[in-house]
Amino acid sequence: MPIFYHDDPEWSDIEPLPQDDGGLHPLAAIAYADEYSEAMGYLRAVMAKNEFSQRVLGLTEHIISMNPAHYTVWLYRSRTLSELKASLHDEIAWLNPTALKHLKNYQIWHHRQTIIDGINSPKGEHEFIATMLEQDSKNYHVWSYRQWLVKRFGLFDDKEEMRWTEDMIHADVRNNSAWNHRWFLVVGGRDGKTLPENVVKREMDYAKSAIRKAPQNQSPWNYLKGIVREAKLPVSTLKDFALEFADMRRPDDIYSSHALDLLADIYAEEENGKEEAKKALELLASKYDPIRAHYWNFRKGLLDQSGVAA
Amino acid sequence: MPPEMQLCVEKHVKYIQSLDTRKDELEYWLTEHLRLNGLYWGLTALHLLGHPEALPRAAVLEFVFSCLHQSGGFGAAPGHDAHMLYTVSGVQILATLDAFDDLEAHMEGGRLKIGQYIASLQNTETGTFAGDEWGEQDTRFLYGALNALSLMDLLFLVDLENAVSHVQSCANFDGAYGTSPGAESHSGQVFTCVGALTIAGRRDLVDEEKLGVWLSERQLKNGGLNGRPEKKEDVCYSWWVMSSLAMLDKLHWIDSEKLTSFILQCQDPELGGLADRPGDAVDVFHTIFGIAGLSLLKYPGLIEVDPV
Repeated sequence: MPIFYHDDPEWSDIEPLPQDDGGLHPLAAIAYADEYSEAMGYLRAVMAKNEFSQRVLGLTEHIISMNPAHYTVWLYRSRTLSELKASLHDEIAWLNPTALKHLKNYQIWHHRQTIIDGINSPKGEHEFIATMLEQDSKNYHVWSYRQWLVKRFGLFDDKEEMRWTEDMIHADVRNNSAWNHRWFLVVGGRDGKTLPENVVKREMDYAKSAIRKAPQNQSPWNYLKGIVREAKLPVSTLKDFALEFADMRRPDDIYSSHALDLLADIYAEEENGKEEAKKALELLASKYDPIRAHYWNFRKGLLDQSGVAA
Repeated sequence: MPPEMQLCVEKHVKYIQSLDTRKDELEYWLTEHLRLNGLYWGLTALHLLGHPEALPRAAVLEFVFSCLHQSGGFGAAPGHDAHMLYTVSGVQILATLDAFDDLEAHMEGGRLKIGQYIASLQNTETGTFAGDEWGEQDTRFLYGALNALSLMDLLFLVDLENAVSHVQSCANFDGAYGTSPGAESHSGQVFTCVGALTIAGRRDLVDEEKLGVWLSERQLKNGGLNGRPEKKEDVCYSWWVMSSLAMLDKLHWIDSEKLTSFILQCQDPELGGLADRPGDAVDVFHTIFGIAGLSLLKYPGLIEVDPV
């Protein structure tokens, strides 16, 4: 049902302000556009006289339902809420279904942060996030917001947070956002302090078991290499593991280009490994990742250079 | 070249020209909050296609100035609040049209005022930039600020060192960058971060090989590029990924022939414009990023674009 204001007694004191762009709106053909354009006219009018009221909340809600990406509307709504000292819980109750309708919207999340910051509790947010991620489990806004919650409410070492992240990875082992969140909890929360040995082992085991499930999945390989680097371990630590997926004695049975890539690095560091490293890079260029042949050949070139230097 | 491997230049010019005359379509009004960005995208596409005259300069400037506030900020359209993203587009249009003199004629001291507006959005403690007085912060805004200020020769108005260290704090374990410290790596954010560091003269801070590898891993078997690991391809990443690779001088690490053919398959050969992937509906956003991508790939007949 379209909503109009010109014959609504509650709005009779307001003269809508037309858009100031010189042209007339040939909108009559589309009822919905008429509705939008009229509501915007009323918004410009209340903004011009700095009105902050319950009806402004209703008006902004109406406009957002039609066009949630209009940042001016959010800004004015936010100001109105704070001028009225309106209930922040009511605001969240309204935001939930609105966010579900507009999954790719930026403004909604900033607005939500301001409101939750004001409420000073993350209660209910996890349930809401779960509903959002059911629609799109890699939604960037939602994951960024989750990180904000962790920082704002100090949840880096929260067991529940970690368990939830594991569930997300378990549900889709290729969800890079979930892997990133795990890194954020494990490493990001430590603020540069060294990882304890038991955590390094736990994380390596975790990434390895995920790789065994899907050897060509980029996310856990990045994660595993990241942990090894973070713990300042030599990359050769991963040699036996990489060989599980890429035994170069059987070049037709390679299960992961990422393992080959890693082996090339490991061999290159070994005293007599240069030929093996070359073989791995050649397999990548010719067979297992030919789309990036130029890159693999560049790596091969580096091997020769280092030979000359030595 | 076979017909499916041709860029339909004339069609795309017509498509962009038509965008402003579609006022009877709801879409036009619902995207009002993007009007100035859209104009910049359209104008840039026309320049790359070799048809800068297709949008009349005077009318473009008149519209741009009507979005300019006394504060020095631009809104998305007349009557909209000033915001970083539109201010950057405003400045970019003025630079494209070589119109900073026209700006002074329209508003005395205009260039400096715009510079000061942008500088006022920097958080001097953290070096980040907000989008508007509302305070949402994102490396997109930081890049935009540095881009616009450098076009106006006003970089000295902000704390560059702080901005640079904020960008560095957004670097991730995989070698790429996210919207804020710890946020997942994303091609669009890589572009803004590497672009910002390039403008600031601090590209030495980038781990070029590691980032180059991450970027080249964005290419999928069908030739298209994705924005994050294990996601689908999309034409707009042709720009974000390739411009970043070009800044790192590693564009040759991806398969340009396959990418070119992927981008060309996203054209609407009848009405002009490009879509996110073959068969989808076209829009101006994907049109500019597809064409800019082809320009980086040195597609014949296109003007070469500056990756920064």
